[in-house]
Amino acid sequence: MSNNLRKLYSDTIKAHNESPVNFEKRPGSAALLKAYNPICGDRFEVFINPMPDNKQSMLKELSFHGFGCAISKASTSVMVKSLIGKSTEDAQKLCDQFLKFVRNDPTVIESPLSDDFVAFSGVHDFPERLDCATLAWKEMKTFLTSVTEPNN
Amino acid sequence: MSFNPRSIKALFPIFSHHPELVYLDNAATSQKPASVIQAMTAFYEKENANIHRGLYSLSTNATGHYEEVRKKVASLIGSTDSDSIVFTKGATESISIVARGFIRSHLNTGDNIVISGMEHHANLIPWQQICKEKGAFLKIIPVDASGNLDLSNLDSLLNTRTRLLAMTHISNVLGTINPIEEIISRAHVKNIPVLMDAAQSAGHYPIDINPFDADFIVFSAHKMFGPLGTGVLYSKKSYRNQIEPLHYGGGAIKNVEYANTEFLDYPHNLEAGTPNISGVIGLGAAIDFIESLDKKATVDHTNELTIYFKEKVKSLTHITLLGNPQKSGSIVSFQAKDIHPHDVASFLANADIAVRAGHHCAQPLLESMGVPAVVRISFAIYNTKEDLERTIEALVDVKKFWS
Repeated sequence: MSNNLRKLYSDTIKAHNESPVNFEKRPGSAALLKAYNPICGDRFEVFINPMPDNKQSMLKELSFHGFGCAISKASTSVMVKSLIGKSTEDAQKLCDQFLKFVRNDPTVIESPLSDDFVAFSGVHDFPERLDCATLAWKEMKTFLTSVTEPNN
Repeated sequence: MSFNPRSIKALFPIFSHHPELVYLDNAATSQKPASVIQAMTAFYEKENANIHRGLYSLSTNATGHYEEVRKKVASLIGSTDSDSIVFTKGATESISIVARGFIRSHLNTGDNIVISGMEHHANLIPWQQICKEKGAFLKIIPVDASGNLDLSNLDSLLNTRTRLLAMTHISNVLGTINPIEEIISRAHVKNIPVLMDAAQSAGHYPIDINPFDADFIVFSAHKMFGPLGTGVLYSKKSYRNQIEPLHYGGGAIKNVEYANTEFLDYPHNLEAGTPNISGVIGLGAAIDFIESLDKKATVDHTNELTIYFKEKVKSLTHITLLGNPQKSGSIVSFQAKDIHPHDVASFLANADIAVRAGHHCAQPLLESMGVPAVVRISFAIYNTKEDLERTIEALVDVKKFWS
């Protein structure tokens, strides 16, 4: 088995795929993000409660549910795990950090990366899987920006 | 077997650049033989000029070459009338011409259009959108769990308000070969015109207008060993002067004044602007290539591969085929237990096996069959049994990798 495939499906990613964090529907949540990829049919929904309304608001309850590949499911799980309990401003920074890291953006990244983020380094060898790794994070970033910069 | 896929494979340069490649995404686009690539290169090197315009030999020759291909396409579908053929940029554009340039103006509130439940988005969205716009109904011929059309209610679906029946000859997901002859004649009994999407069949299976008496036939060059960006619309004579162009411009006119334009007749009125001349020439070379093959042997070969693959997969308990149509072309879709199609496809890609994963531009079909996505493999004449053995082996290994 080739090493880059092992790296793509790191143990961390496999673990998040098998036992995703807060993998449940929470109907009636204040915000619902739809992370859909029309090309491949991946569909995740991210549930947020309560509604954050400024930079200091805390993301208290996050969960997600849906269908997708191991990479998109694990990345959404890591996102939920990483952002719970963070202020929207800090969550936004984490989104930037994750997106820059998986995209191999050389301008990265002031603070050290969590192990959960580093687990996605295998995506660098599979550019066609970048959309899987970033699916939910891009939706989250758009949502957080609408909270922290409501006038933009 | 007289047919030798290895010597066919040698005609396709991509495989000398990628000797390890097992290419099983032919339903998305086929590879191109050297003769097609060379024909296009030769056009640009030796013949490049615009058509229908210049009074010099290069332009005259280019025009002749382009119009020659119109004859070849007509004869590919058994038509003696080369003026039946419009060159488009692909099957998608061809369908949209019929939808927006013809059917739309005949569609009234309460009318309906009938399609099958296994259409590619390209043969669904155009009809859905004009139906919405006009307050008409889009009616669907259902697909059963095996992937066959359920035709039991066809005669009630087709009624006096039906303006068109549009359906695919071969499903791009299930591989189903639909009984299109029978369906066309049942529609014609009620004077309903039929559009046949031959994107998956043209060049691989006979699509002769006798017996396939479709009123419109559409297909793309790139799925039949030809170049990207070139396609075909065939229309029966009775509809030709009713189809309005989607684009206006040069090359499609008889006379232009500031206040008025007199257009050329079909097919030229639908080919405004400089067309994809090298693409059309490549399509001509693709037809020459197809005509040089023993047609029965090629169909037998891809059928044999399909049957072989389905048989082998039966012994893999973690693989479930999507449907099992009565008559099937060389397309097979499947799921692997607890492994997402994308993860299967990446695993296969890592073994140099190119397949497609996703919903294959047939989202409603997959939803109706209760699956969000599948892996699809599709065979062509250059595929070999060794290709399939490597694929089967990888499908065994993918289970080990994920367990």
